[in-house]
Amino acid sequence: MANPPSFRGAQDYTEANRLGTRLTVIHVVFAATLIVYLMSFWYLQVIKSDHYRRLSDSNRLRRVTMAPLRGVITDREQHPLADNRIAFNIRLNRDKVADLEGFLPDLSRMLGTDVPTLRQRLDRARTRPAFEPVILKEDVSLAEAAFIESRRLELPMLSVEVESRRHYLHGTMAAHALGYVGEVSEEQIKQENDGTYELGEIVGKAGVEKSYDGKLRGAPGWKQVVVNSHGREIEEVQEGHRPTPGRALSLTLDLDLQRTLEEAFADEAGSAVFLDPDSGEVLAMISRPAFDPNVFATRFSQDTWDGLVRDAKHPLQNRASLSKFAPGSVFKIVMAIAALEDGIAGPGRGDMCTGGWRFGDRTYQCWAVRKGGHGYVKMREAIVHSCNVYFYRLGHEMGIERISRWAHLLGFGEPTGIDLPREEAGTVPDPEWKQRVMPRDPVWHPGETISVSIGQGALEVTPLQMAVFAATVGNGGTIWRPHLIRAREIREGVQEAENTDARVRTVPLQARTLEVIKDAMWGVVNELGTGSRALIAGRDVCAKTGTAQVFKASRDVDADKLTKEKRDHAWFIGFAPRDHPQIAWAVFVQNGGHGGTTAAPIARAVLEKFFAKKDGGSPDRRPPEARVASATLSR
Amino acid sequence: MQARRYLGSFDWILFSAVLAVAGVGLLVIYSSTVGTPVAGAFRRQLMWLGVGLALMLLALIIDYHTLAAFAPVFYVLSAVLLVLTLIVGRTVNASQSWIGIGGLQFQPSEMAKMATVMLLAAYLGRERVRGLGAFNFAALAGIVGLPVLLIMKQPDLGTAVTFAPLLAGTTFVAGIRIRTLVILGLIVILALPLVWSHLKPYQKERVRTFLDPTNDPKGAGYQLIQSLIAVGSGGILGKGFLSGTQGQLQFLPEQHTDFIFAVLAEERGFLGSLLLLGLYFVILYRCLATARAARDRLGVFLALGVVCLLGGQAILNIGVVVGLLPTTGVPLPLMSYGGSSLVSTLLGLGLVLNVWTRRLVN
Repeated sequence: MANPPSFRGAQDYTEANRLGTRLTVIHVVFAATLIVYLMSFWYLQVIKSDHYRRLSDSNRLRRVTMAPLRGVITDREQHPLADNRIAFNIRLNRDKVADLEGFLPDLSRMLGTDVPTLRQRLDRARTRPAFEPVILKEDVSLAEAAFIESRRLELPMLSVEVESRRHYLHGTMAAHALGYVGEVSEEQIKQENDGTYELGEIVGKAGVEKSYDGKLRGAPGWKQVVVNSHGREIEEVQEGHRPTPGRALSLTLDLDLQRTLEEAFADEAGSAVFLDPDSGEVLAMISRPAFDPNVFATRFSQDTWDGLVRDAKHPLQNRASLSKFAPGSVFKIVMAIAALEDGIAGPGRGDMCTGGWRFGDRTYQCWAVRKGGHGYVKMREAIVHSCNVYFYRLGHEMGIERISRWAHLLGFGEPTGIDLPREEAGTVPDPEWKQRVMPRDPVWHPGETISVSIGQGALEVTPLQMAVFAATVGNGGTIWRPHLIRAREIREGVQEAENTDARVRTVPLQARTLEVIKDAMWGVVNELGTGSRALIAGRDVCAKTGTAQVFKASRDVDADKLTKEKRDHAWFIGFAPRDHPQIAWAVFVQNGGHGGTTAAPIARAVLEKFFAKKDGGSPDRRPPEARVASATLSR
Repeated sequence: MQARRYLGSFDWILFSAVLAVAGVGLLVIYSSTVGTPVAGAFRRQLMWLGVGLALMLLALIIDYHTLAAFAPVFYVLSAVLLVLTLIVGRTVNASQSWIGIGGLQFQPSEMAKMATVMLLAAYLGRERVRGLGAFNFAALAGIVGLPVLLIMKQPDLGTAVTFAPLLAGTTFVAGIRIRTLVILGLIVILALPLVWSHLKPYQKERVRTFLDPTNDPKGAGYQLIQSLIAVGSGGILGKGFLSGTQGQLQFLPEQHTDFIFAVLAEERGFLGSLLLLGLYFVILYRCLATARAARDRLGVFLALGVVCLLGGQAILNIGVVVGLLPTTGVPLPLMSYGGSSLVSTLLGLGLVLNVWTRRLVN
């Protein structure tokens, strides 16, 4: 004002004044605005500063959960079976992508993953906060991880995560006993109401991985980290709580026996269980066809999963504990025990086998029908040569209730209690059972008793039950709960024995009964009986063969001429040595034909390995010619 | 001896304040780009500052009357360049506003700002009308309207908006009648719904977001919220140079351009904000003092045009940072990264210094 713009002439004076006044208005407008702004800064930076400081912290500080290292699983001699390895995952920060749907084709090209799969992965994470990265591709190669990592600037929405991944050192070996791990399902989280599972956590899904998940899993930890706006970790600011690693488990499995069993099983389908008859420890367990549990270690293997689930051969099913089959002739041991114990028959009871028994309007055949039957046999020969007619008549005499009671007493028709997530109980039929499950034909026919007497009919057992039964006979009547865990780590480096008393009950069997049964089972292997292919000199192997019928005509047709699917299932159960047995087993070969032909050699291979390890040397073997001779003679 | 006289009447306060703001701007650009893909911004801005200061000197040495004589030439030239930009321009952030000459990229819209200021001043410098009539106003609106239309076509709404305070300030000081002002106001109010319906969806979104930023915190409101957090969390003393988490961790969008004041506020706190607002006030105050002291109408309107343009931009930009105005994408004069804006601003301030230096009737 003091210095108004100068203009020529007096008439300009008022004009200059007017300009000055208006400039002052502009001045005031600017000054007022700046004062308002200054007040805004005062309000934001001084009055509300704590509030915004907190918001800024919550922006950059993130609580990150750290997955624990899963406990290592070893065999009984501490050879690792399952451990952990480093893996790289590619993750996407959803809140850094404006048009997620439009970005999918680019992602698909970069990662080599099809769009529907990517969309599915994003869908899974729809309930999670937007800042939480989504894993798009798992377990990528180092080259792929490096490709993404070197393009941080062009692709700020992608990052590489390093995590530990379950690793099964021997692939398909013992796959069903070990089980597999996977991301916890939404159903599992809902079931576990105590909130022990968090989304995205890796948990056991089958086998001991599932049944001992609580011990193997450990507890996740957390830390506080500084992240940038792309969610990339910049630094750790607060060490929160380190994850508690899972505890190591020592299994009862013996890697050497398991490997021998896997090799001996070759390409056959079926199952086998080898037990310590004095404790119930599972020394080896196989189920074929098998799967590689490593494929489940990745989160996204929907195709692989579908393939395994839809596979007609059901590779995921643990045939040892979940598949039920007719026990066939093996059940004759149960019959003999029941008859001897209840005094129905003594070992001297004899019967005439002419190749069949006409009962009612049907003839029940013996497998030896083509050579005119077994002739006159006593109980021991009936077991050794597996004569059907002998047990048809014995069963008819005993009645179904007595057979059923003894089958139950000896452990059939109930789960063995093995430490695996699920188990089948099998079926031991009796009139009451038939009434319950077959309301349309509720009457028990005497012919059904005759079928049950040789292990057919509605009778169903699991290979595991058969192994437990073999151990029970071998050890003189004690039923053990079979188990896979020998010891678990209770703290770093300190193990505590598990399952120290797995005794279920002891069936009071008379010494005489045991003597007759064991002697007969010894004969099956050692006297050119049906199981002579399992003969190991000096080991006194005791066993019983069995055949579960698949195709009705198989009794009259040479098994070798049938197509594989039509062949009978082969059983071979037993224990060794005869006195104070150290190992008991059940081998089951699906469509294996006769038990003595396919199943016995498998058991023999494992037994040889077992005794070789016990002695620290190789077992006494007969010359191969002798084995060939016995194989042609016996059936 | 004339040189010494000029030197003696040189506005050292304005010049120092300009240098101080540009210097602070360089430091903040360094802090907000170090370790990012645009880390070269600091050196480029330093180079542009040198170019700008040279042109500022040129604009100071040549008598502003001589320069004003060329105003129509500059104006036509920049209009041609704006048209050319629409044809061969390079598109950045969905707006075609860049043009390249021999590997050098610049925004003709920035040049158009100063050309418009000069033509407005040249026009109003000749007119001696008592009060601004409708015809004069139409002429002013036409001068401003041509570049605005061309810039909106790019489309660069942010730059176009900065012409509004220029037109408003100059017409007001030139003496628009209150009656004309009221009528214009009514027309604007009546035209608002029409303008709203012609806005692009993203522009409408910006306005809605401004009215309620929490409405869409991960989308359009994100910038606003992050800016408020940056400013507020700076506190009184700030988090320290290179220690602003909002900026360094890239939560702040456009941090070396439109939100550069937020980076400063976060790292330097309220004291830093106070200092910078003070420096801007000094610059605006000295420019207005120049307008007041100018020896003729041309000088008055040259200084006024520059102050309205720069002051308007500063107000629009800082208002966004503190959440008082919707996001428009207006750069902060002298501080925001960008060579064209810096050079054009320094050129304008050179004109103001020119007017001040020649304020005394010789």
